[in-house]
Amino acid sequence: MRLTAAVRIGLVIVLSVTIAWIGTVALFYLSTAGGTRNTRPLPGQIAALVTLLEESSPELRPWVLRAVTSQTLTARLEPGLHIGVTPRLQRVPRLTARALNQYLAAVGGRPNSVTVSREHGGQGGLGFSFATPVDLELRVGLATGETLVVDALSYPVINIFGLPVGFAAGLTGAVIGLIALLALQREAAVNRLQVRLSHLVRARIALLGGISHDVRTFLTRLRLRVERIPDEEERERAIADIADMLHLLDDALLASRAGAGELAEELVDFAQVVRAEIEDRGAAGRRVDLRVAGATAGGWQEASAAQIAATRQSGVAITLPRDRVPVSASPPPNTTVLGDRLALRRVIANLVDNALTYGNAAHLSIDADSESVSLIVDDEGPGIPADQREAILEPFVRLEDSRNRRTGGAGLGLAVARSLVEAHGGTISIADAPSGGARVTVKLPLFVAR
Amino acid sequence: MTESAATILIVEDDAAIRRLVAEVLLVEGFGVEAAEDAPGMDAILARTRPDLLILDLMLPGEDGLSICRRLYAHERFPILILSAKSDEIDRVVGLETGADDYLVKPFGPRELVARVRAMLRRGPRTQTPVVRRFSVGSLLVDLDARQIVDEHNASVTLTSAEFDLLACFIQRPRRVLTRDQIGKWTRGRMPDPLDRSIDMIVSRLRRKLDAASPGANLITTVRNGGYLLTVHVTPAP
Repeated sequence: MRLTAAVRIGLVIVLSVTIAWIGTVALFYLSTAGGTRNTRPLPGQIAALVTLLEESSPELRPWVLRAVTSQTLTARLEPGLHIGVTPRLQRVPRLTARALNQYLAAVGGRPNSVTVSREHGGQGGLGFSFATPVDLELRVGLATGETLVVDALSYPVINIFGLPVGFAAGLTGAVIGLIALLALQREAAVNRLQVRLSHLVRARIALLGGISHDVRTFLTRLRLRVERIPDEEERERAIADIADMLHLLDDALLASRAGAGELAEELVDFAQVVRAEIEDRGAAGRRVDLRVAGATAGGWQEASAAQIAATRQSGVAITLPRDRVPVSASPPPNTTVLGDRLALRRVIANLVDNALTYGNAAHLSIDADSESVSLIVDDEGPGIPADQREAILEPFVRLEDSRNRRTGGAGLGLAVARSLVEAHGGTISIADAPSGGARVTVKLPLFVAR
Repeated sequence: MTESAATILIVEDDAAIRRLVAEVLLVEGFGVEAAEDAPGMDAILARTRPDLLILDLMLPGEDGLSICRRLYAHERFPILILSAKSDEIDRVVGLETGADDYLVKPFGPRELVARVRAMLRRGPRTQTPVVRRFSVGSLLVDLDARQIVDEHNASVTLTSAEFDLLACFIQRPRRVLTRDQIGKWTRGRMPDPLDRSIDMIVSRLRRKLDAASPGANLITTVRNGGYLLTVHVTPAP
């Protein structure tokens, strides 16, 4: 049910009235009923009854008993002495017995006992209660050899604190209700804020999506028109510019979706995505290779070193990733993660492109344990100074001070990679590669079926 | 049919792209027809049969996906999809539409011509009746006959609602589906926030699938209230 303003106001009024009523009743009982707050038989009354019974003739005694009998008190006489034991631990009987003894002492003292009445369903326990009344059975041995038995029924009007039965429960309930109402109201406000925020974010993403679509339309026209530039070098540059623009646009769109938690969630074989991304680069003649844990590492390193040497001599080499993922005895590790395929491809693409642009080569390796999969990207460049590793993960921060685009983009690549990785519950960190270049490690949690 | 004599129909709402693509194809010696939306395309199809259709995904009125599905049933020319959204592509060429290839915008003319030639070389599509039978783990599901058999060839009985739900998962395998999405696809409306009936159907379906393929754990729950078919779905013979 939605908590509309009217419902809230209604609840507030009902609760206020209830609390006001309970408060008034409490005041009334505490002030006016304070003097006669105990409906139990007064010890003096019992003592007087004892005296009266002992003094009156046997014919009158039934009348005396009739005279004192009321809704809350019945008295009868039993032949012989049947005095019980006043329990020492129950507060009400103990106090009543003490008062009774004082009065009886005035007429010479009588054997007596005060117990919680079993007959009337009085509870055991400590004889101390807010909520339920205590029925007492008083026994006094008369001088005539008989026993006066008085059953004092405590009607549930007020308890021993002089307040109506259930008062504490009612008050507690009302206070809890009030607190709950306040909490609800607070939460409703927070909910409204969240709904509004998510509407805003969605609207922004929709706007970005619309812009992206239109820009792509323009870029498509441009891309087709660029073909008519006669100078081949100019044409290639223009095509590269279009690709860069597109890359930037996709980065911005993906990063904003990641920030809004709007990424798709599907099961993705991470190693396969890495392989696909590398194949694209490898096919373009870039120096990229991949090692998957579980494969024979020694064999890979040998081949890789030879490959690197060959690359240095010839200047250009293609290292096809499929050859570098050797068939091994151990099964390939499970690298299934829950995430957005496009976003993950973008992370890998940004890291590999960075490594190739600033570090001449990208050496990738994938490692998986039972909880996470790691992708390590090493390059052969100058590395990243330790004091700049945090900063470089921020948007628009680049290692070179000049923001010329000759060597790269706007400084968004790593920032986008980080926001995407973090949206997947993963981490990204920068360290030194053993070969001297930079090492970027991406760690993603594996999907665990429940 | 020789390649150069082939006629290509372009359906694209952006006039400039339509003209540029047409020019590229004309230079390569193809015959070109062009339409800006579905009615225009139907008018051309009424008088001529192209050898290939280049179809933009986002069109005013009837969109590319729907055109694709409509044509697949009774046309045999191959369809090349143009899309500005790279993330929709795997669905387009996926299970149901019948597109033969795709290009993500922006694309270069050489790329376009290469795709077109490759598709024409493969020739008209051999009309295979669309069979919607899939292997899901150890189960075999026929979406049209609405039947499921387990590995021992024993039939698994599902209620209509449970089968609709399973079909929904099979058409989007390994993807997290939220309660809202499931409600929209199986009943055409968003469920009430307090409506637990989808959760109940999911849990009944899970119980039945677990009984049919013990230990496979085909459908799992994901942290923020979504469900996921964990296995790969492959077309079955």
